Amino acid sequence: MLKALLEAFKNLFKPIRTIDYPARDMTLPQGYRGLIEYDKEACIFCDKCEKVCPPGAIVFYQHPEGEKEYRYNPWVCIYCGECVRACPKPDEALWHSETKQSAAFKEDGVNTEWFEWEAACKASREAYKAAKASAKIQKKSEE
Amino acid sequence: MMKIETTLSTLAEDINAFYDARQWHFLTVNGIDLGEGKIELQWIFSRYGAKDDIVIYNTQSDYETPVPSIVSLIPSAFMSEREIVDMFGLKIEGTERGLYLDKDSLEHPLRGES
Amino acid sequence: MKKTVHIPLGSQHISLLEPIRFKFECENEKIVGVDADVGFVHRGVELACTRNFEFKQVGYVVARVCGLCAITHSLSYTLAAEKLLGYEANDRIKYLRMLMVELDRIHSHMLCLAHTAENAGFEALFMQIMGDRELIMDVQEAISGNRVQFDFIAIGGVNRDLTPELADLIRHNLTALSEKIDALMVLFEGNWSLSLKYKGVGVLSLEEAYIYNALGPLARATGLATDVRAETNDFPYEAIGYKMILESGGDIHARNFVRLREIVNSIDMCRNIADNLPAGEIQEKTKGKPKGEALVRVEAPRGELFYLVRGNGGNMLERVRIKTPTFSGIPAMMEVFKGSEYADAPAILASFDPCMSCTAK
Repeated sequence: MLKALLEAFKNLFKPIRTIDYPARDMTLPQGYRGLIEYDKEACIFCDKCEKVCPPGAIVFYQHPEGEKEYRYNPWVCIYCGECVRACPKPDEALWHSETKQSAAFKEDGVNTEWFEWEAACKASREAYKAAKASAKIQKKSEE
Repeated sequence: MMKIETTLSTLAEDINAFYDARQWHFLTVNGIDLGEGKIELQWIFSRYGAKDDIVIYNTQSDYETPVPSIVSLIPSAFMSEREIVDMFGLKIEGTERGLYLDKDSLEHPLRGES
Repeated sequence: MKKTVHIPLGSQHISLLEPIRFKFECENEKIVGVDADVGFVHRGVELACTRNFEFKQVGYVVARVCGLCAITHSLSYTLAAEKLLGYEANDRIKYLRMLMVELDRIHSHMLCLAHTAENAGFEALFMQIMGDRELIMDVQEAISGNRVQFDFIAIGGVNRDLTPELADLIRHNLTALSEKIDALMVLFEGNWSLSLKYKGVGVLSLEEAYIYNALGPLARATGLATDVRAETNDFPYEAIGYKMILESGGDIHARNFVRLREIVNSIDMCRNIADNLPAGEIQEKTKGKPKGEALVRVEAPRGELFYLVRGNGGNMLERVRIKTPTFSGIPAMMEVFKGSEYADAPAILASFDPCMSCTAK
């Protein structure tokens, strides 16, 4: 009982244990799981990262001329790193950085714009497939 | 692991003859939907102190036949029975819907689409 | 004429950390009847695992059923999937997985002890234990990148390796922690005001533990010798120095001591693993799709966790059945309340260590 009282008295003079973030920055450990970064020049558009992502944070848009556009949502991502492990060029096209992600603001459109983008990507994929199928049929009827 | 086939009508006597509270630990009641209105039910037990000694009582049934309740023999089984009544819409005596689902939730979510 | 009054320990209560509601039937402050309502946080995880996610992604979904025992859920599912694919992990992978499970057990038990001390009125001890728990959270963040959801286990191995600097950090922090745990054991045993709240309160006898199928530290505090770490062949627990901890008495004081002694045992096991890790690869490629049925049991900090996975050869699974430890412990918990005073109910509830997100998946 006396020991507990002595301990409580000593605690008055010990330093505070909490960090007053964001006034003071916190030190992140080495190997912290941060944002996923992408380089368009090295990508071969194999779609493996899109298929493997558990929450669906990487979505590709299919342009009718044949090229694809990459978009990534850092507020749906769970930072597991599966996309980096599935990519055939893991340090040139897609890699896991150590920057901490920031909080989302209203103009980032996390709830509205992202879902419109997802629906547009799905529609563009189907339109591209239908266009290719009809081009094939037309080519066969010409021969 | 040992699987024993049984039927709904002989279930109460089988478990009565088998169960001893000091030797066997009751794990859970499980249901798996097999499609076309059939369901497979499993009662799973494990032995205290032995390595990987599990006994499963297995039977197949449909959604209309009432399932006998083993609460009089194993008092802690009422939680698992309430769960499968919620999830599959089965009929068990003395158990009603309402553990996880509210009055205006979906009916029996884990039943397959028919 | 006897009359009973219904008093709720409602889903909103100042001492409650978890969303659970009890309705007590009381005669003049003594509890005679209990009615429990769980299921406030039901999210439908079992259905999502078979409809929306492929079998390689289900490990990440299932880890989010609970925050404190996230790695045991993900480990049980991965073991069941590996059994269906016919793959057995090598020694280095097994030891790394056991290291994370034991570190998780230490921090979860410290959280429960802090909460029990807070409900007895000793709030300064709660703050002190939470501050000491940061030693373990730093180690977990350095190994896996996150403090709570590790995402450390994948089908075929683990995701990150243990370097010699990390092994030094583990040894340094565990040595600092074991001195503090020794001081805690002296405090929980000898302090006069804590013993008024703990000794002889909330008793579960050995007979009742057998009848109501109690598990985890709740059962081991009454003398029932059941622990999945001694009842399964999946992990080499005897090789790293596991001991089963039993107490008799069944009251809150016995449960606290089961948890404290388990922390000491886990610290020894983690040190053994960090010193003697065998060499090998940390991730191997697996082929094929899951077909058949597999059952796995793993010891979570609160008891026994059970998974049944059934697949039929495609990418989507047919059935994932999860049985969590708190779900099986509710009948025994309801039995303990009968016969005690209403004013002791928050302290008894905190000593059970309930985890409601596990119960209502």
